Amino acid sequence: MLLFLCRRLFSLAFVLLGVSILVFWLMHSVPGGPFDTQQGQLTAATRANLEAKYGLDEPVWKQYLNYMSHALRFDFGIPYQQPQTTVAALIGRTWLVTLQVGLLTIVVAFSIGICAGLYAAYHQNSWLDHLVTFCATLGVTVPNFVIGMWLILCFSVARSWLPLGGWGTSGACLFGKYFCTDWILPVVAYALAPMAIIARYTRASIVDVAGEDFIRTARAKGLSEVALMRRHVLPNAQIPMVTALGTEIPNLITGSIFIETIFRINGLGKYFVTSALNRDYPMIMATFLLIALLWGVTYMLTDVAYTVLDPRIQFGRRSRR
Amino acid sequence: MLNRLHAYLIFLALTPALADTTVGGRQLPADAASYAKQVLRVPCDNTRNEVTFDHAVSVYQRYGCVQDLFSDTLVDLDSLYRPEPAAAESWSVADDGVTWAFHLRPGQLWSDGTPLTAHDYMATFRLCASPDHAWDFAWFYSFIGEGGLRNWDRIVAGEMPPDSLGVTAIDDLTLQLVTEGPFPAMPAAMKFGYTLQKRALEEHGPYYNNDPATSVSSGPFVLTEFDPGYRIVLTANPDYTGYRPPLLQRIEGVYMSPATYFLAFQRGEIDLVGHEQLTPADFATIEEDPTLQANYLRHYGDFRTDYLLFDTFSPPFDKLAVRRAFAHAVDREAIVAGVYGKAKAVAAHSMLMPGFPSADTTGALADLQRFDCGLARQYLADAGYPEGDGFPALEMWMRGEPPATAAVYQASAASIAQCLGVQIQVSNKDGRVFMDALNARPTRLQMGAVSYGMDFLDAANLLGVWMSGGRHSWSDSTFDHLVTSAAAMIGQAEVRDRMFRQAERILVDQVGGVFIAHRWAGDLMKPHLLGDSFRQPDAKGIAGRRWGDDSLWGDMYIGDRQ
Repeated sequence: MLLFLCRRLFSLAFVLLGVSILVFWLMHSVPGGPFDTQQGQLTAATRANLEAKYGLDEPVWKQYLNYMSHALRFDFGIPYQQPQTTVAALIGRTWLVTLQVGLLTIVVAFSIGICAGLYAAYHQNSWLDHLVTFCATLGVTVPNFVIGMWLILCFSVARSWLPLGGWGTSGACLFGKYFCTDWILPVVAYALAPMAIIARYTRASIVDVAGEDFIRTARAKGLSEVALMRRHVLPNAQIPMVTALGTEIPNLITGSIFIETIFRINGLGKYFVTSALNRDYPMIMATFLLIALLWGVTYMLTDVAYTVLDPRIQFGRRSRR
Repeated sequence: MLNRLHAYLIFLALTPALADTTVGGRQLPADAASYAKQVLRVPCDNTRNEVTFDHAVSVYQRYGCVQDLFSDTLVDLDSLYRPEPAAAESWSVADDGVTWAFHLRPGQLWSDGTPLTAHDYMATFRLCASPDHAWDFAWFYSFIGEGGLRNWDRIVAGEMPPDSLGVTAIDDLTLQLVTEGPFPAMPAAMKFGYTLQKRALEEHGPYYNNDPATSVSSGPFVLTEFDPGYRIVLTANPDYTGYRPPLLQRIEGVYMSPATYFLAFQRGEIDLVGHEQLTPADFATIEEDPTLQANYLRHYGDFRTDYLLFDTFSPPFDKLAVRRAFAHAVDREAIVAGVYGKAKAVAAHSMLMPGFPSADTTGALADLQRFDCGLARQYLADAGYPEGDGFPALEMWMRGEPPATAAVYQASAASIAQCLGVQIQVSNKDGRVFMDALNARPTRLQMGAVSYGMDFLDAANLLGVWMSGGRHSWSDSTFDHLVTSAAAMIGQAEVRDRMFRQAERILVDQVGGVFIAHRWAGDLMKPHLLGDSFRQPDAKGIAGRRWGDDSLWGDMYIGDRQ
């Protein structure tokens, strides 16, 4: 296993290198630059000064080497949109909050989504199954900012039950700061779409496995439905669920611009969008590298999970024909 | 025991008096809430990338909700937009017309107890000109008069050191500014004359005001709490000795999405919302509610005008008759009423919004560009295109406009197309692409729609953009002469005003542009937010926060009717 992990980490390093070259090349190949905004009305001299200040007057290959030599020492530069800080400090400050939001969302979305999916699969074509399917479709199709605004209107404006926004800043907190009321609306709004996806995937996986011959055989042998589910259905349905659901995790822990802005959360999510819009090269590079790293680690952990869930799968073994 | 009793009695006796007195010793108005309740809550935009409180650090990335409260500008503007003393108590210009002296009000202090001096202003100007600082507002000091502030451009370009700038501290209380050419509007331009503290700048760099530990203020408020992205708290500066001592005890900025400003206002979390954050649906709610309507205070903002521009050096717009046809084909009143809404704009027939110095307030220019479809068709026929026959298909560009503004320009193009029978395709371009095409010589923009607001309160600013060789491909030598001469004229206010009016008449008559709408700005305020500077209507019946009037911060208070 150790050898497998080392090999995957080694290949992940190459993936990050490839991503860094591709992103750097792409962002510099688009016409214009970070200081071409119309609002600033920068003079040519000021623009030249800014380009010199950030090393943008150098050839692109040299800029890339400069960037990477600093990045290897965890110096990711100064964000053009927040020049009073560093990229590392900005990500450190904002991602911490985004992680909290994301992890809470994962807990809520996965626990409710899996339960709802199981229930729907177990009661196929019942009105409850249809209700779960309807809610799942709604969760996927209605954007989370619409849901967010609707939640605010219902629970903050029409009824002042919950704060309009904030993250441990504007609501009442219980147990110290372990649960704050201003967490509820953003987590619910953020969790609905992944919850719906999880419910659908869970239902589909369970229904697939439940229709297999070996399940029918087990049932014919008189195994109770609970035991059937626990011993045969769930273990066999887990692999497709892990494959599909694992990919939700990097998305959730890197934040959402809509959720963060509407609910006043100063997280990393908005920087994925504003960096690209403002051509903030250091932030674009850092956020893309972060995403690539998270996806790489997620896939690696998913592979590890396969071997735990299905002993027939072994690390690094090639398939034989 | 007796001493304790005395102290308690004295405290009881003083409590009501203290409740009505600010930290600076000012008495609160009779209808004000107690001093403890003098808290203004403002929304801060969490979608913007903002980096500083200070004008001298960045103009376009300032914290929009609480900016420029840590220093006083040299000159403020009164309710009629006339320069009035602020940090400078007086100013004068030498006989050469280019050397200005601004005399600071004595006794002004920083919150660390050190005196505010002209050296602080000089250090700030030098920072702004420094190539290393790459200030985003550097264009402004190139723009004042012919040639700008002395040596400004060469310093910004790195050809001269910052200490060669034409800004000098003659003594602690006298700041001298030298321009390359005469610039009579210099006092009004010093509306932007904010300062940083020289010592803090040297010790901590330009962002020292972002941290309460290093922040220092010579303005009416000091920074006491700053949690970026969540909350900003300013409290009244007890050491403030300037011209606008605050009645408010505290200002709290709460970060939120502009999409939720109106909801937060309705919920009572904030006390005001600017017009830009109000949607058409919000305006509909305001119009239905008499209390909200009475507390939406409309004002001029930056006197912004929407207009159509043309390449008048190439066919078909090289013909005056074609331009006049277009000018008379825009149904401005219908567009303003139907698209902008009357709370947000008024029909325009000229560049200068009524209320701006030298603007046409008599309606004399309106006839030159009024909507008259019959007349418009006649002009087009005179130009050789009866009923639009043979007129080339046009493409009208917009400068990356948001949907609300784009709708106004699209409606203008539709009005022209419908009236004249011509084809106009409207295209909303990226801002940079638009500006490159506009500024190319010869221009690559056949027809465009854009808006322009003032940078300083003088007709030289808003008419100056129409001068030959500027951004617009339109030229008139008489217009150029009038604007250039008037812009440099010192001490003959009436003649100057007359010349600007003549120049604008030429611009409108010769259809340098087709003017569509003057935009109103405004703020929705809570009824308990009081202060004569924004509640009392002026002679034209306009109330609200006036651009350039920083004295508002010395006048605003919370009324006792919550």
